[in-house]
Amino acid sequence: MSLVFQSLVLGVLMGGLYALLAAGLTLYFGVMRVVMIAHSAFLVLAAYLAWTFTVHTGLDPMLSLLVTVPLFFALGVAVQRLLVARLRPATLTMMSVLLTFAVALVVEGLLGFVFSGTHRRIPLSYSGARLELFGASVALVKLIAFGLAVVTLAGLHVLLKVTRFGQALRATMQHREAARLLGVDTDRVAGFGFGLGLATAAVGGTALALDSTIYPSLHWHWIGPLMAIIVVGGLGSVAGAAVAALVLGVGQNLLQLPLGTTWAQTFFYAALFLTLILRPQGFFGGRLAQRF
Amino acid sequence: MRSGSETFVKAAGLVGLAGLVVAFPGLASDPFVLSVGVVIISYAVLATAWNFVGGFTGYISLGHAAYSGLGGYATGLLILRADVNPWVALLLGGLVVAVLAVPVGIAALRVRGASFVIVSIALVLVLLLVFQSWESVTGGSDGLRVPRPFDADVLRPEQHQRFFHLHAVLLAVMLLCWWVIDRSRFGMGLKAIREDEDKARSLGVPTVRYKLAAFVVSAFFTALGGGLYALWFGFLDPIFQFSILVGSNMVLMSLLGGVRSLFGPLVGAVVVGYATEFFKAQYGDTQMHLVAMGVLLAVVVLFLPDGIIPAVRGLLARLRPGQASIREVTQEELAAEVRR
Repeated sequence: MSLVFQSLVLGVLMGGLYALLAAGLTLYFGVMRVVMIAHSAFLVLAAYLAWTFTVHTGLDPMLSLLVTVPLFFALGVAVQRLLVARLRPATLTMMSVLLTFAVALVVEGLLGFVFSGTHRRIPLSYSGARLELFGASVALVKLIAFGLAVVTLAGLHVLLKVTRFGQALRATMQHREAARLLGVDTDRVAGFGFGLGLATAAVGGTALALDSTIYPSLHWHWIGPLMAIIVVGGLGSVAGAAVAALVLGVGQNLLQLPLGTTWAQTFFYAALFLTLILRPQGFFGGRLAQRF
Repeated sequence: MRSGSETFVKAAGLVGLAGLVVAFPGLASDPFVLSVGVVIISYAVLATAWNFVGGFTGYISLGHAAYSGLGGYATGLLILRADVNPWVALLLGGLVVAVLAVPVGIAALRVRGASFVIVSIALVLVLLLVFQSWESVTGGSDGLRVPRPFDADVLRPEQHQRFFHLHAVLLAVMLLCWWVIDRSRFGMGLKAIREDEDKARSLGVPTVRYKLAAFVVSAFFTALGGGLYALWFGFLDPIFQFSILVGSNMVLMSLLGGVRSLFGPLVGAVVVGYATEFFKAQYGDTQMHLVAMGVLLAVVVLFLPDGIIPAVRGLLARLRPGQASIREVTQEELAAEVRR
């Protein structure tokens, strides 16, 4: 029983990180109808930057966020303005997948070139610390990662719902032409949407670096689950992605008990295929997802 | 429009190409060059097989490594576990994969665009997991040694030569199939789906059945290509068989050559395959080839999305006077003209 509960808690913590990353993917898809394959490559890049920062300065990896978040925001805007915006509208969805895939290859290759393929781990004074949480024993780093994810998601939520920029962004996601008629500079907003999405990868990467070993090709392990999450949740729905992330994260952790870690991974793909058979537009996606 | 001289030039080109392929093993200076030739023609086989779904329907699959890998493993396992004749195993493997592709196609083709690509990637990732973990059957991460189909007294260069010609035969069969489909009602329906699926459907094209048929044909040929490669190479490792890089190579080659042209994937395979092998020989197997591949793919997507062949043909057409009043125009070009 306690083992099941432990898995449940770990699943929720894992799901938080998934939800944050899926939120980034939803932003890209929302503003540009683009599936960003390179998202998890940038995630690993941020993890490497956090690792470099800690190894060279001896400071806490979370301080690297002060650099990586603005840097990734700028990178995201650049990717949108310089690459994605140049594609022809008629074939945008397909070609953008290939383009961002190409970006992922370049990032992975450069990471391998600069940092070599060696597995790296951030040395942390508190990496062994564990906390008792309602009878479940949880590593402190996992809690911190979850906390980072929750705080960022909450910040994103406030930004989207309260600020004027958030309104413009949501308007662009809902209906680009109508938004433009109302005076929203949609190209600018789309660029910022990409920046925000990539900023979530910076936060996620730092959270990832706290409690796992990193290597350049790690991003392939993240693409599959993340893609499954956004399809199950319904492309373009932030809330749907978050719910799907939690459900799938918990499911994967619970299945690890009887199946072991490797086979539990297939849960994401099983969920993906089932969703496509039963409800191709995803369980929370609306009108938007149906067309893609 | 079609003049006698044009037909003659085309026929002569075709004969020349066939002659070159037949003569290549004799011209190759040493076994290494010959083995590179086999690798490149194997790329050409896979890219052309990919183009049955990518070129006709416009559904871009990044996960065709799933079918080449499955084809390889099916062939190898049939030989090893069921003691089937290698050539029968190759064909059976292709058929098994074609059957497997039916349910996958039904699920994957329900969604368009981005979701389809996601599913194709997911399929490769899940197969990688399965083939690595299911050690009792697949040999797991240690890989699977596939016995050679020829007797031990056939030496390596001779092996390369035979496999080069086997690949060439398969390639020729596929090109013929592509050419026939391209001119059929079926092909017309598929191309209609590529340009505008909803309109095609409203005109009575049975889109679901057509897409599925193209998908299964593509999977079958890809599996044959994978099986033939397995017989030649003699060893299967899940990491290399079920790698997204293999699938993206097929996409890159086809796009670079031109997905709408019969010989597009072949041209792309020769260019990319030659470049890859050249860089490997010059600089070794570093991470930089990932970067090079990524940059090349980005350049093709951004600046040459129609491929080399249409670009060259467009250039030639400009030098020639007078075009016919009826042309094949894509949805995109039409939209561009209307906007103008």
